[in-house]
Amino acid sequence: MNLRSFFARHGVSLYPLLVILALIAFFGVQNPYFATFDNAMNIGRQSSVLLLVSLAGTMVIMIGSIDLSVGSIVTLAGIVTALAIDPFGPGVAIAAGVGVGVAVGLVNGLTLIALKVPSFLVTLGMLSVLSGIANMICGGSSIMFMDQSLTELVNSEFVPGIPNIILIALVTAAVLTFIAFKTVLGRYLYAIGGGEVVAANTGVPVNRYKVYAFMLSGGLCGLAGVLLTAQVGAGTPAAGANMLLDSIAAIVMGGTALSGGIGGPQRTILGVLVIAILSNGMDVTEVSSFTQEVVKGLVIILAVASTIDRKKYLFIK
Amino acid sequence: MTSPAPALELRAVTKRYGAVTALDGVALVLPRHGVLGLVGENGAGKSTLISVINGTARPTEGQLLVNGRVVSLGSPAEAAHAGIATVFQEQGLVANLRVYENMLLGRERQFSRAGILGATAMRQFARKVLDELGIAIDPLSVTGNLNFGERQLVEIAKAFALGHLYPVEPIVLLDEPTSALSDRETEILFDSIRRWRGKASIILVSHRLADVFAVCDAVTTLKDGRVSGHWPIGDATPDLLHEAIVGRPRSAGYYKEHDQRETLGDVVLELADVHVPGQLRSVSLSVRAGEIVGVAGVLGSGKTALGHVITGALRPSGGEIRVHGRRLRPGSRAAALAADIGSVPAERNIAGVIGMHSVQSNLVLPSIKSFRAPRLPILSGRRQAATTDRWIERLRVKTAGRSQQIRNLSGGNAQKVVFAKWLARGVRVFVLDDPGRGLDVGAKEEIYTLLRSLAKEDVAIVLISDNLPEIIGLSNRIVTFRAGTISAEIPAPAHDKPSETSVVTNMV
Repeated sequence: MNLRSFFARHGVSLYPLLVILALIAFFGVQNPYFATFDNAMNIGRQSSVLLLVSLAGTMVIMIGSIDLSVGSIVTLAGIVTALAIDPFGPGVAIAAGVGVGVAVGLVNGLTLIALKVPSFLVTLGMLSVLSGIANMICGGSSIMFMDQSLTELVNSEFVPGIPNIILIALVTAAVLTFIAFKTVLGRYLYAIGGGEVVAANTGVPVNRYKVYAFMLSGGLCGLAGVLLTAQVGAGTPAAGANMLLDSIAAIVMGGTALSGGIGGPQRTILGVLVIAILSNGMDVTEVSSFTQEVVKGLVIILAVASTIDRKKYLFIK
Repeated sequence: MTSPAPALELRAVTKRYGAVTALDGVALVLPRHGVLGLVGENGAGKSTLISVINGTARPTEGQLLVNGRVVSLGSPAEAAHAGIATVFQEQGLVANLRVYENMLLGRERQFSRAGILGATAMRQFARKVLDELGIAIDPLSVTGNLNFGERQLVEIAKAFALGHLYPVEPIVLLDEPTSALSDRETEILFDSIRRWRGKASIILVSHRLADVFAVCDAVTTLKDGRVSGHWPIGDATPDLLHEAIVGRPRSAGYYKEHDQRETLGDVVLELADVHVPGQLRSVSLSVRAGEIVGVAGVLGSGKTALGHVITGALRPSGGEIRVHGRRLRPGSRAAALAADIGSVPAERNIAGVIGMHSVQSNLVLPSIKSFRAPRLPILSGRRQAATTDRWIERLRVKTAGRSQQIRNLSGGNAQKVVFAKWLARGVRVFVLDDPGRGLDVGAKEEIYTLLRSLAKEDVAIVLISDNLPEIIGLSNRIVTFRAGTISAEIPAPAHDKPSETSVVTNMV
C-alpha cells in the first residue's frame, strides 16, 4: 500500500500520531536526553493518572454527556485511600478508593436520569460537592500514611524496566478499547451517543446504560485516585485539581466528539500522549512554567483544529 | 379600457437544482383579491414555487410581476417590499416575544426614534391590524402561550401588518395552513380568509382538496414541476383535480396489488379497547399474519399514537395489546421488542438511523446480542460483517460498503437499512410510519416489493401513512382514524380497491 492511499483510508485519525512524532523530533533535537528510554518512562509515570482520568471522561463523552467531576473524584478517592490504608491495609484501601468513585458515578447517573438535569450541571455541582467533602475530611492538608506496600506496588516493575503504574494504565486502556468495540456495552454507548432516539427505538435501555457510563467513569477516576495517592505517598486535597481540563483536551484531541457517538478510548491514548510529551518536553528544555501554560493552550487549540474530522460533525458549537 | 393588472403573475418560471428541474416553465396568475388554490403531490414543485415567489429561491429563468411591475428575482427583501408574505407551516414566530413584537419583527425601525422603540405606537398599530382582520387576540399576549391555530392567525396578521407599512396590498402565501389545525380552527381560518377577500390576494397551498373547494375561487395543479391544470373553482371537480395532480389514473402495478395475499394467517396482533388520554379512545384492532392494515387519518387523529402504543413508546391508560394471544406489558419498548415488534419511524434521520455510524453498526444494533460468543461477552466482528453483507445484497442497498457512514447513503438506501436492521433480527409485527417519506418513485417501488415479500413471510404489518394512494394500493384493509378513534374499516382487496374519496370521507 502506498503512503497516499494509507492516509486516504485512515485519514485524520493519524494526525495526533503526526503531532506526537513532530513533538518528539523537536524536543529530541533541543535536548538529547528527551529521546531516551529513561525519559519515556518519566513521561509514562507522569501521564498514567491523566490517562485513566481521560479514559473515564471518554466513556461519558461517548454517550454525548460530560463528566466534570472526574478531577474531584480523583481527589476524594485519593484521600479515602490514604485514610484507609494504615488501619485496613492496601486491599481495602484500593476497594474503598474505587468504590467511592463508582458510588459517585452512580449518583451522577441517577441524578441525571431522575431529575433530568443535564450532565454538565449535575457533574458541575458534584465537582463542588466532592472537593468540599474532600477538604472537610482532610481539613485542607495532606494525609500521610505509613504503609508503603501500595507505593511499592505502583513503582515496582512487573515487566522489567516498565513501572507498574504505566502497565496498569495501558492495560486499562486496552480493556476499555475492547469493551468499546467488542461488547454489547460498548456498542450501546456508541449508539446512545450517536442517536439516542434511534437507540431507544431499537430497544436499548438508554437510561440504564447512561448510568453504567457514569459508574464506569467514576470507577476509573477512583482507580486514578488510588494510584495517585500511592505514587505521591500522600492523599492531597488538590490532587485532581488540574485534571479536568487536561483530560477534556486530551479526549477531544484524540478525536472523540463532545457530541458523542464517535471516537473512543483508543483515540484518547494519543491525546494524552500529546499533552504528556509536550509538558515533559518543555520541562527538559527548561521552558518557564508560565510560558508552558501559554504554549500548551495554543498547541491544544491547534491540535484539535487539525485533528478533528469535521466531516463527521454536524454542528460545531 | 384595460383590465387591472393581476396581483401576481409568473411567466415561464424555470428552476433547476443541478440536473434536477424543480419547476419547468411555470405560468401562474393570481388576480387582485383572488384566492388561488395550489395543489400537487409531494415533490411536484409547490414549495419551490413558493420560494421563488417570496424571493428565497432564485429561478433559473422566468419573470415575476407584482401588480404588473417586474420584481427582481431571488430577493426576499424586495418581495417583502412588494407586499409578499409567506405563512409557513413550521411557524416563523419567536415564542418568547409578545404578539405585537412578532408582528413587527424586523420593522421596529419605523416605530423608533433615535434608536428608542416606540412601544406604544407598535402596540396601537398591531391592535389596529388585528381589529381590522377580526382576529380576537390580545397583541400583548406572549406568543408561546397561544395555541397553534392562534399563532397561525398571528402569522397572517403579520403579513397584513407588512402591507400596511408599505403602500401595497398584501399577497399572502399560505403553505399548508390547515395541516396542523383542528376542524374548528380550520373553520375559523377559512372564515377569516373569506372576510379578507377585499384586502389581499391569497395563494393557498394544500394537500387537501376540501380546503381548495372551501375557500378558493380558482385552482392550479402542479405535476412534476409543470402546471398540469387550471380551473375556476366552479369548473373543477375532485376527479379532474385528482387526475391533474397524479398525472394519470392510478397505475395498477405500482403497489404490487397482484402480490397481495388473499388468504391470511392467524391473528398476530390484537388491540382491545386501548385508551390513551387525549390521544386514543377505545381502539380495537386485529392484524393477521401476512396482512397489511393501512391506517389513515389527519394529523392528531390518533394514527401516530396507534403506532407508538404498539411499539411501547406510548403507555396506554387502559385496554390490552396482545401478540399471538399473549398480553404485552404496556408502554415498554423492551416488551414490544421481546414480542418481535419492529418499527420503521417516519423521522428516519432522527429515529431510524444513526447518520454518523456505519451501515453495519446501524444494521446490527437491534440484533447485537445475537453476535455474542457462547458464554462470553465478546461480539464477533466476522459474523456482524457477514450478516451486514448478506442484507446489503438481499435488499440491494447501494453503498460503498458496510463501513460506509449511513449519512452518505440516499434516502431510499438508508430506509432499506432501517428495514434490514429489523429483518436481520426477525419481526412478527412491523409498524411502519410513512415508510415512503422522502423517497423517489423507484425507491418507493422497491420498498413496496419488500412489504409484499414480508407479508408472504407471515409478518403482520401496520402501515401508517399520509399518502392515501399508497395506503389504498398496499393494504388488505384500511382503518381510518378520527378524533382518536377508529371511524371506519374499509376492505381493500386487490381486485376492488376503494376510492380515495371513500377513505377521506371517514377521515374528516
